[in-house]
Amino acid sequence: MLGMRTISWADWIEHGTTQPSGLIRDRNYADLVQNRSSKICLACRGSKMLCGKAKCPVVVRAEALVKFQGLLDKELIEGSTPPAVFVGRIGYPKVHIGPMIPPFYGNTEILDTPELWMGKTIEEVLDYRVSLIRGKSRSHIFEVQKPSKLLATLQELAMGSRPTQTEAVFTKKPRGVVLLSEDMQPFGPSAPLKSLTVSDIAVDRRIERFFYDGDLKASDAIFSLYKDGVLVTRIQRSFSLGMYGTTARRRLVPTRWGITSVDSTIASRLVDEVKHMPTIDEYLVYTFENIGNIYTAILLPEKWCFEWIEAWFPKTFWNPHGSAPELMGDFEPYEGRTAYANVGGCYYSAKLALAEKLKLERRQASSLILREIHPEYILPVGVWNVRESVRELLKTKPAKFDTFEKALSQALSVMTTPRKSWVAESKMIRGTLFQRKISKYLTQPTVYAG
Amino acid sequence: MFKAVVQDARIWKNLLTAISTLIEEADFNTTSEGLKLRSMDPSHVAMVDFEWPKGAFEEYVCDKPTDIRVNLSTMLKLLKRGKSDESLEMAYDEENKKVNLTLKGKILKKFTMPTLEPVEEEVPTPKLSFSARVKLMSETLKEIVEDSETVSDNIRFEANPDKLLVKASSELSNVSMELTKTDGALLELDVKETAAATFNLNYLGEMVKAGSATSEVVALEFSTNMPIRLEFEMAQQGRLTYYMAPRIETE
Repeated sequence: MLGMRTISWADWIEHGTTQPSGLIRDRNYADLVQNRSSKICLACRGSKMLCGKAKCPVVVRAEALVKFQGLLDKELIEGSTPPAVFVGRIGYPKVHIGPMIPPFYGNTEILDTPELWMGKTIEEVLDYRVSLIRGKSRSHIFEVQKPSKLLATLQELAMGSRPTQTEAVFTKKPRGVVLLSEDMQPFGPSAPLKSLTVSDIAVDRRIERFFYDGDLKASDAIFSLYKDGVLVTRIQRSFSLGMYGTTARRRLVPTRWGITSVDSTIASRLVDEVKHMPTIDEYLVYTFENIGNIYTAILLPEKWCFEWIEAWFPKTFWNPHGSAPELMGDFEPYEGRTAYANVGGCYYSAKLALAEKLKLERRQASSLILREIHPEYILPVGVWNVRESVRELLKTKPAKFDTFEKALSQALSVMTTPRKSWVAESKMIRGTLFQRKISKYLTQPTVYAG
Repeated sequence: MFKAVVQDARIWKNLLTAISTLIEEADFNTTSEGLKLRSMDPSHVAMVDFEWPKGAFEEYVCDKPTDIRVNLSTMLKLLKRGKSDESLEMAYDEENKKVNLTLKGKILKKFTMPTLEPVEEEVPTPKLSFSARVKLMSETLKEIVEDSETVSDNIRFEANPDKLLVKASSELSNVSMELTKTDGALLELDVKETAAATFNLNYLGEMVKAGSATSEVVALEFSTNMPIRLEFEMAQQGRLTYYMAPRIETE
């Protein structure tokens, strides 16, 4: 689309796969990360600053590699927004808000709709993202109580059901950087916004209805929209602009927090319904691979519980200097969990995709989903990747087994991480392999093994 | 027709709470002799065996054997309204397939709740013989379970003719406790052969906490790497027994 990068994609892939240790060889970078535990990056993922640096060195390094030149050499941009909006988190509660506009007209929906990105390469996704120029303007989170003209326009855009022609004037030329995060899709160049004009917006009535309902709780609005078939991305987009909930409690929600809030809200509601359904009848194993990620799911014919474990290979983004795969996961029993997942937003995205499948099948199950991340996964592209991949994973035809042991062997056979690492990390595997069933002792008389 | 009266509504609430640690839908078999329930939890790891004979009720009428299946959380929500000075009457309205609950105190409160389609499933009790039997105050058992929960998801019981050892350990920390008759922690200790077995605390913790509200004394029976049996003794011939399969680490 724009293709004015300082490095070619071939170089970038090369860098990411065959010479990943280049990340460490860079002297400045090495200073930053020397002698750190290899788990620290995985636990932090650029958000908790566990290494003590003001900015995540892994992210900074990667962002620097995706620099752009001469993207847009003027302070005016005209194009069709998908529609896309952004709410920042820096400076919370006074955050940046603004539209995202590509410098061309047409059906640009795909640029901001992760639901359409399955099967695309990381490069293609980055292409979509960097073509969107982000306008920025400061706004207090409670400004939704009395929206400025800009905020009102953005809210209207977020209700839009198709790309809308827009014209934005910036006070400076856009700067070419890319924003990477574990939870969000990448975001491209930005510039301070001076003014924004939009043409007629075709409003999605389903979203509009809840926007004007100031008595309904946000979580109820989110779940209703989801059940009405509104794309999760669109719910997230409008939710982050404070468009749902009881009037007095409405506020802006930074995009990256909003994504997980919506995933988590929908997932919990679905799980509440799933818990009333009968269990599946067999052990089911699903496998799926996409952009350097291998996923497997094992569904057990038992009541609902969920575990999500990721194994980051050496030389992947969050395990840049380890020598073995680093594993991290989270578990919730039947009753659910109260603490935020250690692995972050991806846990809730996976749970949403899983609960959606169980609801569709009208069944409950104990579910373990494993994700193995290989160095081909050069950049974190956002939790949409997990949500959409797990949706695809559970659309594949499962292999069926009559014991957990057989199911586990099949699931682990498509992955490279050693069995003992998974067993050590997984509460569900340990629990299921080691826990005997009382039903085993019901029929034949058993003598104690003294 | 089925009708039963319990003098203290809270006793029944505590019993149902104990049953609800394992199952959500309870199938009560009522006969002229009394009321019974035996069921495994959905993962088939544990079992509850509950019996409340005719004589343990203040008043009891049942003219033909009937299966009454109810959602326990719905029933408990209503029973939680009961106070210790209120009596509880349960009656089955066969025609409308409803259960009528009446709490009688200063106010007469009548609740009606739906029943569920009974599931034809006869569950036998596990056939087991035990090499160790330990009797202790249920408060003591609750305490050691809670202590173990601070470090681990599992609890290990080891019994020899002199004492009961309780251990729990995780990667970093562990706890071990020693209980003997001489120190007053145990009421009875009868060990035919040394026994040691490990159990999941998520299950056991729930059972012990809810069970100890129903009874002051509990008997534990187990053998090496075999299921455990927990029996909460009831004053009025009633019986609340749990069985739970062990955890055996093989890798």
